[in-house]
Amino acid sequence: MASRKLLTKKMEFSASHSYWRPEWNEERNKDMFGKFASPHGHGHNYSLEVTVEGEIDTETGMIVNLYDLKTLMKEVLIDFDHKHLNKDNPRFEKLIPTTENVAKVLWEIFQEKLSDNGQCSLYRIRLYETPDLYVDYWRS
Amino acid sequence: MREVICVTKRYRFSAAHRLYVKGFSDEENARIFDACSNPNGHGHDYYLECRISGDINPETGMLMNPEELDRIVDPVIGELDNKRLDVEVAYFREYQPTGENILRYLWERLRGQLGDRQIHLRLSETSSSYFEYFEESNYPYEC
Repeated sequence: MASRKLLTKKMEFSASHSYWRPEWNEERNKDMFGKFASPHGHGHNYSLEVTVEGEIDTETGMIVNLYDLKTLMKEVLIDFDHKHLNKDNPRFEKLIPTTENVAKVLWEIFQEKLSDNGQCSLYRIRLYETPDLYVDYWRS
Repeated sequence: MREVICVTKRYRFSAAHRLYVKGFSDEENARIFDACSNPNGHGHDYYLECRISGDINPETGMLMNPEELDRIVDPVIGELDNKRLDVEVAYFREYQPTGENILRYLWERLRGQLGDRQIHLRLSETSSSYFEYFEESNYPYEC
């Protein structure tokens, strides 16, 4: 039977986001986003888990070098850490940075960055907005 | 390629229970239920993870507003929070307040209110035991 080997690396970042669509009036924003509706935004300490799938290299004993994955995650998160996602990250110019959409964007970035890696492929993105609320995103 | 998105929200409640069969002696109950049959009861901090899968609503960017989920889950959890389950909650006077039955109760209370969304519930009784409840159509669950 085929087996699956996964490796997960976790990294935290802090960012703010606002649940507010400027083309809607205040009433509609409040109706759709409830207590989260505000043009100013609020922040979280996010925790990102990147899970990759691959074969264990016979020489190194690794699916991927954790140091390389850590370096890649740090590079990717430069555009997210200590940023107002709606205002500072062009990927959210027209996309509301809900946890669902942030997870989806992170999937797209990591999938592209890992695509020519030859060792492993992206399996899942798990993004914690708070310790009690998280989103899983993957494509199968 | 199929896109899969799950949102999981964790809720906590604290409750006491005693596991026992009414007609049995304390010794017999202790043999079956061990420490869980202490006649004075004991308690746990339960964590309910409520996982919903579906599509992102393009207007809101959300799968489900967590506030809406709270409006459904909080009152159900609230009825168990800080209660002695087998004494104060009618359902558990009939069914043993085991983790399995507490989760079944939560499933029955929540399932209907969550419409046609795919849901997966996980109840942790301690840091080393948890129980899961989900529909077979949602299996194998990859999250």
